[in-house]
Amino acid sequence: MSDKKYWQSFGELNNSEAYQQAAKDEFREDLPLEADNGFLEAKAPRRDFLKYLGFSTAAAALAASCETPVRKAIPFANKPEDIVPGIANWYATTYVQDGDVVSVIAKVRDGRPIKIEGNELSAVTKGGTSARVQASVLDLYDTNRLRFPTIDGKEVTFEAIDKSIGESLSGAVVILTSSIVSPSTKEIINQFIAKHPGSSHVVYDAVSYSGILLANQASYGKKIIPSYRFDNAKVIVSLGADFLGTWLSPVEFSKQYAAGKKIDEKKPVMSKHMHFESVLSLTGSNADEKYLHKPSETGAVALALLSAINGQAINVGDNKLKAGIEKAAKELSSHKGESLVVCGSNDVNVQVVVNAINEALQSNGKTIDWSTPYTNYQGIDADFAKLVDDMNAGKVGALLISGANPVYTWYDADNFKKGLAKVKTVVSFNSKNDETTQLSKYVIPDHHYLESWGDAEAKAGYISFIQPTINPLFKTRHWQDSLLKWSGITTDYATYIKNYWSGKVGGETGWNKILQEGVINTLNNTITSSSYSGTALTGAMAAILSAKKGGKIELQLYQKVSIGAGQQATNPWLQELPDPITRATWDNYVIVSPAMAKTLLDIDLNNNGQADSYEVNPPKKVVKVTVNGKSVSLPALIIPGTQPDTIAIAVGYGRTDKLGKAVEGVGQNAFPFANLTNGTVNFVNADVTVEKTNDTYKIAVTQTHGGYDTKQGKRTEVMKELTLAHFKEEPNEIIDDREKELAPYGGIENFEKNGTIYPYFDKPGIKWGMSVDLNTCTGCAACVVACHAENNVPVVGKPEVLRFHDMHWLRIDRYYSGDMENPNVVFQPLMCQHCDNAPCENVCPVAATNHSSEGLNQMTYNRCIGTRYCANNCPYKVRRFNWADYTGADSFPDNQKGIISDVTLMMNDELTRMVLNPDVTVRSRGVIEKCSFCVQRLQEGKLKAKKESRPLKSGANNEWDVKTACQQACPTDAIVFGNANDKHSAITIERVENKQRTFYSLEQLHVLPNVNYLAKVRNVEEAKEEKKEA
Amino acid sequence: MHLKYESQLREPLVYGSKTYHDVTEDIVRPIEAKPSKLWYIGFYIAVALLLFGIYAIYRDVTYGIGQWNLNKTIGWGWDITNFVWWVGIGHAGTLISAILLLFRQGWRTGVNRAAEAMTIFAVMCAGQFPIWHMGRVWMAFFVLPYANTRGPLWVNFNSPLLWDVFAISTYFTVSLLFWYSGLLPDFGTVRDRAKTKLRKHLYGIASFGWTGSTKHWQRHESLSLVLAGLSTPLVLSVHTIVSFDFATSVVPGWHTTIFPPYFVAGAIFSGFAMVQSLMVIVRKVFGLQDYVTMGHIEAMNKVIVLTGSIVGVAYLTELFMGWYSQNKYEGYTFWYSRANLFSPYGWSYWGMMACNVLSPQIFWFRKMRRNLFVTFFMSVIVNVGMWFERFVIIVTSLYRDYLPSSWATYYSPTIWEIGFYLGTFGLFFTCFFLFAKYFPTIAIAEIKYVLKTTGESYKEKMGHLENVDASVFAHSGHGHTLVENSGSV
Repeated sequence: MSDKKYWQSFGELNNSEAYQQAAKDEFREDLPLEADNGFLEAKAPRRDFLKYLGFSTAAAALAASCETPVRKAIPFANKPEDIVPGIANWYATTYVQDGDVVSVIAKVRDGRPIKIEGNELSAVTKGGTSARVQASVLDLYDTNRLRFPTIDGKEVTFEAIDKSIGESLSGAVVILTSSIVSPSTKEIINQFIAKHPGSSHVVYDAVSYSGILLANQASYGKKIIPSYRFDNAKVIVSLGADFLGTWLSPVEFSKQYAAGKKIDEKKPVMSKHMHFESVLSLTGSNADEKYLHKPSETGAVALALLSAINGQAINVGDNKLKAGIEKAAKELSSHKGESLVVCGSNDVNVQVVVNAINEALQSNGKTIDWSTPYTNYQGIDADFAKLVDDMNAGKVGALLISGANPVYTWYDADNFKKGLAKVKTVVSFNSKNDETTQLSKYVIPDHHYLESWGDAEAKAGYISFIQPTINPLFKTRHWQDSLLKWSGITTDYATYIKNYWSGKVGGETGWNKILQEGVINTLNNTITSSSYSGTALTGAMAAILSAKKGGKIELQLYQKVSIGAGQQATNPWLQELPDPITRATWDNYVIVSPAMAKTLLDIDLNNNGQADSYEVNPPKKVVKVTVNGKSVSLPALIIPGTQPDTIAIAVGYGRTDKLGKAVEGVGQNAFPFANLTNGTVNFVNADVTVEKTNDTYKIAVTQTHGGYDTKQGKRTEVMKELTLAHFKEEPNEIIDDREKELAPYGGIENFEKNGTIYPYFDKPGIKWGMSVDLNTCTGCAACVVACHAENNVPVVGKPEVLRFHDMHWLRIDRYYSGDMENPNVVFQPLMCQHCDNAPCENVCPVAATNHSSEGLNQMTYNRCIGTRYCANNCPYKVRRFNWADYTGADSFPDNQKGIISDVTLMMNDELTRMVLNPDVTVRSRGVIEKCSFCVQRLQEGKLKAKKESRPLKSGANNEWDVKTACQQACPTDAIVFGNANDKHSAITIERVENKQRTFYSLEQLHVLPNVNYLAKVRNVEEAKEEKKEA
Repeated sequence: MHLKYESQLREPLVYGSKTYHDVTEDIVRPIEAKPSKLWYIGFYIAVALLLFGIYAIYRDVTYGIGQWNLNKTIGWGWDITNFVWWVGIGHAGTLISAILLLFRQGWRTGVNRAAEAMTIFAVMCAGQFPIWHMGRVWMAFFVLPYANTRGPLWVNFNSPLLWDVFAISTYFTVSLLFWYSGLLPDFGTVRDRAKTKLRKHLYGIASFGWTGSTKHWQRHESLSLVLAGLSTPLVLSVHTIVSFDFATSVVPGWHTTIFPPYFVAGAIFSGFAMVQSLMVIVRKVFGLQDYVTMGHIEAMNKVIVLTGSIVGVAYLTELFMGWYSQNKYEGYTFWYSRANLFSPYGWSYWGMMACNVLSPQIFWFRKMRRNLFVTFFMSVIVNVGMWFERFVIIVTSLYRDYLPSSWATYYSPTIWEIGFYLGTFGLFFTCFFLFAKYFPTIAIAEIKYVLKTTGESYKEKMGHLENVDASVFAHSGHGHTLVENSGSV
C-alpha cells in the first residue's frame, strides 16, 4: 500500500494554519455571502439577507422544535432482584395514627407504595381497613411534609441539631407523646429516662379515654381498657359510643359487629343493637333502635339503665327515652352473659356506672375480655394538665414532643402555649409542621410510617410490625433514633428493633418470618374476667345525680369518620370523602336538629318549598356558637336524628394553613369548646348560646336529598328495608314484590328475556357480579377511599364539589326513613351497576362505552368525546365527567391555575403523583369515567389463573384471584364479588343463600344490573306498618 | 307562465299598483344603496356578540366544560336547550318553502326567502351546541363514519346523537340547496342591474350564469319541486330525531312516546314566531310592507295559534299520563318537578305554560292577529316560551331522576354558558344582516309569479270577472283572453 498523500486543496497539502483552523470548525466554510465589508455594503444585499433569513429561521425552528421533554424515568443499570417492573411487591406493615392501629400490607410498585390493604393474618382487624387507613398512603407524598431538621426555622444537619440539643438537654426533660403502642419504643423511652434523671414521660391523647381508664381502676383496680367482644354479644347497648366509626378500635369492632348482623335465611337471627345518643353517629345509624337524649344526660341514662336492670322504677322525663331504657334493660337482662354495654363518655363516674351495668349483666369475662387489654389509649388528662401547670411554673427544662399536638387539640391551648414559651428546649419530632411543631425551637422530622421501622402492640399479645416500604423521601429520621442517640446508645432504631425482636422470635429466621407476616397473634384466646369492686359506684351515682344540669342548648363535640381528631386533615382524599351522615365534604359545621332549624333558622323541613330551597342551595345559614366568651361562627346543617336541644361540631378542623393547601380555610377548631371536668376532658358543653347571623356559607355536600319516599310513591325499587320480625313472618315478601312488579314480563325468571324486544344472548365464560349486603354495610366509607387510591380517582377540591363535580366512582348513599326527628338510616354503596342492558351504552354516538363478554360495562377513554349523554341516561348517576383537567393529563398542559382548586393542582405535583396506580390510566379533561369493577385487578387475576393453567378462583373455599378494591377494604365483608357463572364462587353462593333479601336497584327498568343488594333488616319486634308497601 | 284566477275575497298578496319593474326596484334597492346607520349599528352589535361567543367557546375548549355550571346529575343544560331551541327555529323556513310550495300556498312567496335564510342561520347556530358541548371537541370527527385505521371501531348507529348528526347535516344541506337554487334568478337580476364591475362579477358568479332562458326556468321549476319533495319529510324528521335524543332514553320526563309530534309542532310554532319577529322588522326597515302584508302576518299568526295549541295539548297529555300511568318516577317529574310552581324549577314550567299555551290564544281574535305590535310582542314571548320548554324538558327531568341520592343542587348558568348563547345570536344576526344587505330578502321572481293574480291592482282589474258566468269563463280558455282584454301588463 502506497503512502501517497491525497489532498483536496493547497491548504490541505501544506497543512497551513488557516486550514487547521478551518478543519476544527463545525462549518468549514463560511456562509457563501457576498458581503465582504459588512452586510450593507454587500454587492447583493437582498440575496444575503435571504440567506441570513433562511439560515436563522431554519436554525431557530430546529432549536425550538428539537427540545424534548426531560423524562426522569431511568432504567436500572443493575436490576434489583426483587423489583420487576409491572409486578407489585407487598410488604406487611402497620398503620399507627393516634390510637388507630391497623395491620396492613402495602402494595409497592416500582419502589413506591401506592395502596394499603388490610393484613388478613391479623387476628385483630382480620384484613379490615378504615377510610383513614386507606388514605394514609397519600400522606407519604404530602408536599407539605417537613423535609429537613431545623433550629428556629433554619435548616441544619442532623449532626448540628444533635450537638445543639445534646448541650441543652438539662433540667427535667419531659417526653410528651400520644399513646405509645410500640414495646420497643417504650423500652427506648425508659432507657432515656434512666439516662436523664428527673425526666418523665407524659402521654397525651387528643381524644382521651381517661374516663374509662380511671373508672376501671376504681372498679377493677386496673388502669387499662379491656377488650370488648361484640361478636359474643347478642344484645349491644351503646351509650353514645361510636364504636363502628371512631371509638377505641372501630375496624376490629366493625368485623365483630358484622358477625352478629349476617343473616342466615334459614334461621334468621341477629344481634340486637340499641343506641342512645345525642347526635346521629355512624354507629347510631346502624342501630336497630335509637333513642335521643341530651349530651349532659348520659350519666342519667346510664343510671336509669342500671336501675331498670336491677328491676327498679326509673324516672326519666322523656317518654320515648324512658321506654327505650326500659326496653334496653329488658333485652339486656334476658341475655345476661351475652350482652354488652359500652359508653362513649369520658366521665369517670358515668363509666363506673357502666361498669356496674356490665357487672349486673355478667358481661365481665364473657363479652368483656381482660386478658388482652388495649394500649392504644393510655393518656390520663390529669397528667397532662399537671404538665401544663409544671411548664407554666417553669419546672420543665426540655420538652420532647412526638405524636401530640396540644397547641391544637388541648381545650386550653393558650395556657399550654404560655407554658411552652417557658420551656427552654422544645423539640418536636413530627412529619408535619403542625401547630405545636411551629412553636418548637428544634424540629426533627419523623418518617412516615411507610418509611419506618416499628412495632405495635395495641392489644396485649397481638403484635404488628412496621417495616419501611420505601427509602425516606426527605431528610427525616425515626424519633427513636434521636432518643437513642441522646441516651448515648450508638445503635440506630432499625438495628435496635431487630435485636429487640430477634431474641424473642427465634433469631434472624423468626425476625424475617414476622416481617413477612407482619403480625404475631397471641395463642391465648381465652376470655378472662377481672375481679370487680362496687365501692366506687355509690360515689359515682351521687356525683351524677348532683351534677349541674345542662342549659337550654348543649354542644356535643364529635369526631368524623374521615378526619378524626385532625391528624390526617391534610389528606385531600379524606377531606373530599363525604361524611357518611351529613354527606358534606371539606368543612365542619354546626349540626342542628330539624326542630331547632325551625326555631333558630326559620327553615321548616316539613314545608316542601323551604326544604327544597335548603337542599338545592349550597349556601347554608351561619350560626354563632358561644361558650364562656369563646365563640365560633359556622354554617348549620340540619340533620335528622339530632336531639332537638343539641348542636354538634366536629373536631379536627380549622388547622393551620402551614399544613398545606388541603386545610387552608377548611372549617374551624372546635377543641376549645371542650372542658376539663373532674379531671377528664369533657367533649360536651352543657350550656351554650347559639345565635343566627345574617351570613351564609357554602357547604359542599354530595347528596342533597335524604329520603326515598315521595308524594308520588315510595321508591322501594331503589331501596328495600324491613324488620326482622317482618322478615320472619313473610320471608318471601321481597321476592313476591319483585315477582309482582315484573309479572307482565313473566316474573323474575323470564324478565330478562321477555322484558325486551331484542334477542337474548347467552353469557358463557366469566360473568362478573357483585353483591352488597346492606345489613352488614356500616357506611364507614373505607371502600370509597380504597376506590380513590386504586383507580386514581381525582380530588376536585371544595369549589368543584360545591358545583356537584365530585368524581367518586363509588359513593355511599344515605337514606332516612320514618320519623324525621329520629329516623332510620340506611346506607347503600353505589358504584357502576355494570348493567347487561346498559342505557349508557346505546346512547354513546361513538361507542366509547360498551359491554365486555364478561359482563363489564367498559369505558374507553381514548374514544370518548364527552357528550355526557351516557351520564344523563344512567339511572344510577354513577358516571363522572372530567369537567376540567383534574389530573394534569390534558392536551392543553398546565392551564388550570385559577380554574380549579389549588388542592387539585397539588395532587398533580410530581411528588403527589407518585401515589398513582400505574395500572390505571389517569383520565384527561373532557371524558367520562366510572367504576370499572377494578378491571386491572380482574386482568391480573385472570392472567395468574391462566399462567397456572387452572380456573379462576373467586371465593370458593375463600381462595381469591381477584378482589375489587372496595371489597378488599371493607371491614365487614359486606361486598362480595366474583364470577357469577361459577357455581362455587362466593358471589353465586351469596346470591343463592340470600335469595329472600336479594334485590336489584331499579330492577323494573330492565337495565339488568350485575350488582345486587341484600335488603337491610332491622332487629325490631313490631312489624311496623310503614315497612309494608303495597 | 300559467295564470290562475284568485277570488276577490282573498286578500291581495302584493299591495299597490306594481309593475314587474317596480317589484325589482323595491326589492333590489337595499342591495344597491348604502346601508343605513341603523344597519351598521345592528351589524356591529351582532359582531360584538359573535366575538363574545367565540371567546366563551375558547374558554370552554381551553379550560374544559367546567366553565359551565353543568354537573354530575345535570349533564346537559343551556347547551342542549339552546341547540333544540335553534333547531326548532330552523323549521319554519323549510316548512314555508317546501310544504307550502307543495300545497300551492301563494302567500309563502312574500316570506319564504327570509324564512329560509333564517332556517339556515338557525341551523348553523344550533349546530354549534352539539359540537362545542363535547368534552373533547378536537375528537368530534369520531362521530363521522369514515374509513379509519382504528380497526373495527365504528360509530354507534344505536345512538340518537348519531342520528342527529345525520339528520341535521342532511337538513342543512337540503335547506341550503333549496334556498340557493331559489336565489339564482334573483342573483341574475341583481347582476344584470349592476353598475359596478365588482358587483357584476360577484353576482355573476353567484348566479351560476343564470340567463333566464326557458330551459333554465324549466329546470329551476323542476329542481324546486324535487327539493321541496325532499325537504318535506325532513321538516318532520329533523325534530322527530332531535326528540329521540330524549324519547329513547330512560330518564323520567324524557322517556315519552308523544315527543316526535309534540316536538315538530313546537318547532313550527317557534319557527313561525321567529319569522314574525324578523319580518316585522325587515318589512319596516326596508319598506317592504307591500310585499309582506298584514295578510301574511295574519296567516302566520294562525299557524302560531294552531301549533301553540297542539303543544298545549301535548303538555296536558304528559301531565295526564304522569298521573294515569301511576308511575311514581314520572309522576314526580311531571307533578312535582314541573307542575308544582313552588318546586325549585316550577317557575320554568309555568313560564312555559304562560308563554306557549295561554298567551297565543290571543290570536283567536282577528284584530290581534293583524296588530303589528301584538304580533311582534307575541313572537318574542313564544320564543321565550319555547326556550323554557326545552329547559323544562332537559333540566327538570335530569335534576331529580331515579335515585333521590343523586338529586342535584340548583343549576344556573355561568357567564360563559350565557355567552355561548349570546354568541349564537351574534352569529345569527351577523349572517342575517349580511343577508339583508347583500341578498334579495324577498324572492323577486316568485313575487312576480304571483303578482298578476294576487297583486292588488291586478285583482281590482279582474273584479269584473266575478260577474262572468262560469261557463263563459271556462270557455275562454281559463280566462286568458278575458284577462288580456282587461288590458293589463
